[in-house]
Amino acid sequence: MGENDANITFFKDGLRLDDRRADELRPLKIEVGVLARADGSCYIEMGGNKVIAAVYGPREVHPRHLQEVTRAIVRYRYNMASFSVEERKRPGPDRRSYELSKVSREALEPVILTSYFPRSVIDVFVEVLQADAGTRTAGINAASVALADAGIPMKNMISSCAAGKVDGQLVLDPMKEEDNYGEADMPIAMTPDGQITLLQMDGHMTPEELKTALAMAMGGCRQVYEVQRKALIDKYNQMEPEIITDQEQPQEAEVL
Amino acid sequence: MSSVLSEIRKDYLYNMILKGTRADGRYFDQYREISIERGVIAKAEGSARVKLGSSQVLVGIKMQPGEPFPDSPNRGVIITNAELVPLASPTFEPGPPNETGIELARVVDRGVRESKAVDLEALCITPGKQVWIIFIDVHILDDCGNLIDASSLGAIAALLSTKVPASKFGLGEDHPLPIRDLPIATTAIEFGDVVMFDPDSDEESIANSRLTVITTADGSICGLQKSGTGVLNPEKIHHIVDIAGENAKEIREKFLEV
Amino acid sequence: MDRKVVIPGDLLSEEAKRSGEGTFVKDGKVYSLLYGLANFKDKINVIPLAGKYVPSSGDSVIGIVKDVTFSNWIIDVNSPYDGLLHVSEYPRRVESDEMSKILRIGASIMTRVKDVDSTMKVELTLNDRKLGVLKTGRVIEISHTRVPRLIGKGGSMISMLKRELNCNIFVGQNGRIWINGSADDMDLALKTILLIEKEAHTSGLTDRVIDYLKQEKRARS
Repeated sequence: MGENDANITFFKDGLRLDDRRADELRPLKIEVGVLARADGSCYIEMGGNKVIAAVYGPREVHPRHLQEVTRAIVRYRYNMASFSVEERKRPGPDRRSYELSKVSREALEPVILTSYFPRSVIDVFVEVLQADAGTRTAGINAASVALADAGIPMKNMISSCAAGKVDGQLVLDPMKEEDNYGEADMPIAMTPDGQITLLQMDGHMTPEELKTALAMAMGGCRQVYEVQRKALIDKYNQMEPEIITDQEQPQEAEVL
Repeated sequence: MSSVLSEIRKDYLYNMILKGTRADGRYFDQYREISIERGVIAKAEGSARVKLGSSQVLVGIKMQPGEPFPDSPNRGVIITNAELVPLASPTFEPGPPNETGIELARVVDRGVRESKAVDLEALCITPGKQVWIIFIDVHILDDCGNLIDASSLGAIAALLSTKVPASKFGLGEDHPLPIRDLPIATTAIEFGDVVMFDPDSDEESIANSRLTVITTADGSICGLQKSGTGVLNPEKIHHIVDIAGENAKEIREKFLEV
Repeated sequence: MDRKVVIPGDLLSEEAKRSGEGTFVKDGKVYSLLYGLANFKDKINVIPLAGKYVPSSGDSVIGIVKDVTFSNWIIDVNSPYDGLLHVSEYPRRVESDEMSKILRIGASIMTRVKDVDSTMKVELTLNDRKLGVLKTGRVIEISHTRVPRLIGKGGSMISMLKRELNCNIFVGQNGRIWINGSADDMDLALKTILLIEKEAHTSGLTDRVIDYLKQEKRARS
């Protein structure tokens, strides 16, 4: 977290720099199935973030020695395009993207039924095309939709959102200035029923603030979930499905 | 998370947990024995060797003048790195840091940076041109679980023993590096609905999730990191945060005098 | 309603015994595992809109030879998992050094999945008069999730197509389809199958296909 050198006034008449209330999400747009080659894909705009996620898999693992005999491995690669930030970023992964990739993968893996695809890999690729604070949360939201679009079996969707602290006040879904000059940033990800799969914080919060911020971020995640759900369902909304199944004895699903 | 545990050992650990104990007899929120030795590396500006149970970590601090980052011309620079060298564990391979090593370094860095333990503005030599750069290098010697807590403790202990080598560069007299806070990382794992602090390597390998809480001297939280492929509900998170604070306070009082 | 679009995690029923394909049971309730169409019959099945073909014992598939080893042909079956055709599963005795001559890399075969084990080792067989090497005709690929629609209830769609197109058509469960007939008939068959793939989810598809075929045949004559 930075210092407020710029001496920005974050609140005016109870509204934030972008005219939002403290507990309001930035505008969110989700498009499903935007890439032809990928098995599943999603484009998301979250505030000024423009992020695209693609899923390839399950597919053969290369190199072979990485494969696991009883389940699929999940790989997540978060990458920022050189032109995505104010000062051009050198291409390729840096330490931050390694960490982000790890925690993002760990945010999604709990709901993926990897045991259905032994000896294979599910690859998730996230490219940040334009960055505006909260790229990791946008990436996870897009990845979750892309995984569904690819037909990957999952116990639930994952939705992600951050809470922040600015001028001593807790805010939902911090924008760039709030993230750069605020006092704390807490990105989370969860299932719609409140099981948390990503939790990070840096900055300064009392234990009470932490609990409030967590509840606020969880509320934000629920709002994101509704948008994810609508995007997936709308994709096939206009048609009246007429699917014939030729199977006579569908298998029992395992009791988890 | 760590290497594969045999089914028999996993079951054994699980059964003990159901009975309410851990394999080494500790309580669920109890830490292993901690020992800290400071100033162990003469050539480093500061150093500390931490033993946490059988885990061992050596942290060295090197300081030299250098250029500030363009967006903070009046502030010193902290660079944190962790080396998971092969001698520390059968699962560590030679080569550049992998995601585990990178995550470890970044969490240790978060504790030092977000707590503002080091006054970066006081490290400015000539605004816009020269500032002190602090290298925090974590060298893992023996991985027996909970390297994050051991490394974070090593980092702050090493910083507390650090002398700014001003005379070497003709920048005045050597003096102790001023430290303003004592961030402590406390890590818990969740397994079978039970929360355990300071996991050893067996416990780490059966854990569903791991949560690290970094607290400052006044009990505030300056960092959180969940890792692992499990889920946590808010109640567990609150529980971990509360106990983490108590554990951190105890460790701070016992080992780090102000 | 007996059909609706669902996403992973959607609650489908409070009765665990109604759990079918593409669903899972938790705390006695049935949830969807997939983004797809849920069919509410006695059992609730969720048919995915996308996904990879995973071989199942008994499936008829069209494979392409991708490698030849000492005693096996490795077969690409359009899946994350390759099929293994052991030399003993070929209808006549084959010596090890003959194997590439009998089935070389790139050859297409109509084959059946004999067995799949828990590590997804897929064993194929050619030991059946209905199976064999595809020498003439064409092979096209559609999404395997559309295969049931292409076959139709009790085979109604596919029988109609074979009749109207005057072609031999073999539909593999893995989404690969073999067509054999005159050049013109095969062209029409290809276009028709792609039309069905594209509109598999719409209603009134069967009638539209019949109309399309009538139109095309009229245009030809």
